[in-house]
Amino acid sequence: MGTPSVRRPGKARLARAALRLYPPAWRGRYGTEVLALLDDTGGGLRAALGLAWRAIPAWICPPRQLHDPEARMRASLGTVLAAGAMLAGVCLVFAQLTQLQGFRVHGSPVVAGSYAIFDVAMAVCALAAAAGGLPLWLVMLRRARREHRARETAYLMLPVVAPVAWLTTVATVARLLGGPDGVSPGVFFAVTLLGFGAAAASSAGPILAMQRLRPRGPAVQLAVRAAALATAAIVVAGVASATALTGLFLWARGFAGYHSGAVLGGYLAVVAALATTAAISARRGTRAARSS
Amino acid sequence: MTSRLDRWADPPLLVLASLADEPKHGYAITQDVAQTMGVTLGAGTLYAVISRLEAQGLIEPLDTVDRRRPYRITMAGAEALAQQSSRMSKVASLAQARLRTGLGMAGA
Repeated sequence: MGTPSVRRPGKARLARAALRLYPPAWRGRYGTEVLALLDDTGGGLRAALGLAWRAIPAWICPPRQLHDPEARMRASLGTVLAAGAMLAGVCLVFAQLTQLQGFRVHGSPVVAGSYAIFDVAMAVCALAAAAGGLPLWLVMLRRARREHRARETAYLMLPVVAPVAWLTTVATVARLLGGPDGVSPGVFFAVTLLGFGAAAASSAGPILAMQRLRPRGPAVQLAVRAAALATAAIVVAGVASATALTGLFLWARGFAGYHSGAVLGGYLAVVAALATTAAISARRGTRAARSS
Repeated sequence: MTSRLDRWADPPLLVLASLADEPKHGYAITQDVAQTMGVTLGAGTLYAVISRLEAQGLIEPLDTVDRRRPYRITMAGAEALAQQSSRMSKVASLAQARLRTGLGMAGA
């Protein structure tokens, strides 16, 4: 076997950074060897670029011997939760700015039908998330409390605390700053931003708890299947909202004057990106659940 | 054109060929492939290949020595390498024979 001739560890810093782009399971299995090789060869920009490029297939199609269905399911749940929470937030903003403002296209069944599909899909999504997520949440909460893990307990309480705090803020703001026509656009924007913050905190809490507690078993499998159903429902809701919004933009002059085309385009792009992310991750999670 | 024909030098084949005589760790494989076959394998390419070959059961890891894990070719890997090198050898012989004929006719 050959032995290294020159050691230039300083030049391997970039390549070491590129190694962080790999999935944790890949790094756990090959990371030490790759670092040793980089120490032997010196690394450098070329090695860093090569490593970064090869990290993509390592994520898309991980080697079979590194396949951990439980870890895959947890990762999938985290991604679906984060993307789903953001998508739900975006959809609620849609509902607030259209349905609840009374924007309709009289005589067109497209917008009215899309509103109805949107409402049913959001209800299915909420029910699926609650039915699938609650058992896993309870399992983790029970374990965190039994093992006196205060940080994990706090993470798990975030989906309860953050929405309640946000709703309290909204109610207070509406009472203090609201007039007969509601609140000003600036206040609405600030409250919306706070809502997205609350949604991010609500999803980040269980994700962090899952990373630390590493739950396994039937509760995780149930949550993955429920996440797939919730994702399908929220994708339907996203498509329905996009259809309604496009219909309003095309046929309701009052709405078109109220919102610009850039907002419509931005909304469609965000819904498409979040729905795609959630759908791909949910699919990978259900495949892992089937193989476990 | 030469670069396209370089696809014969598939990294998995080079790694299998390098491991055909004795187990080697990553650095030893890159050195061997560079010296004997004239191809430089980067760390990213090498470990992408190693992970795939390991998944296919064509190589197997041995115990780590000082952060460096040697790999050994398996029976399945040796068979796959023998089949592929036999095919390549036939193509090489045929190509050389036809080139000699073609060049001879061109020179006549």
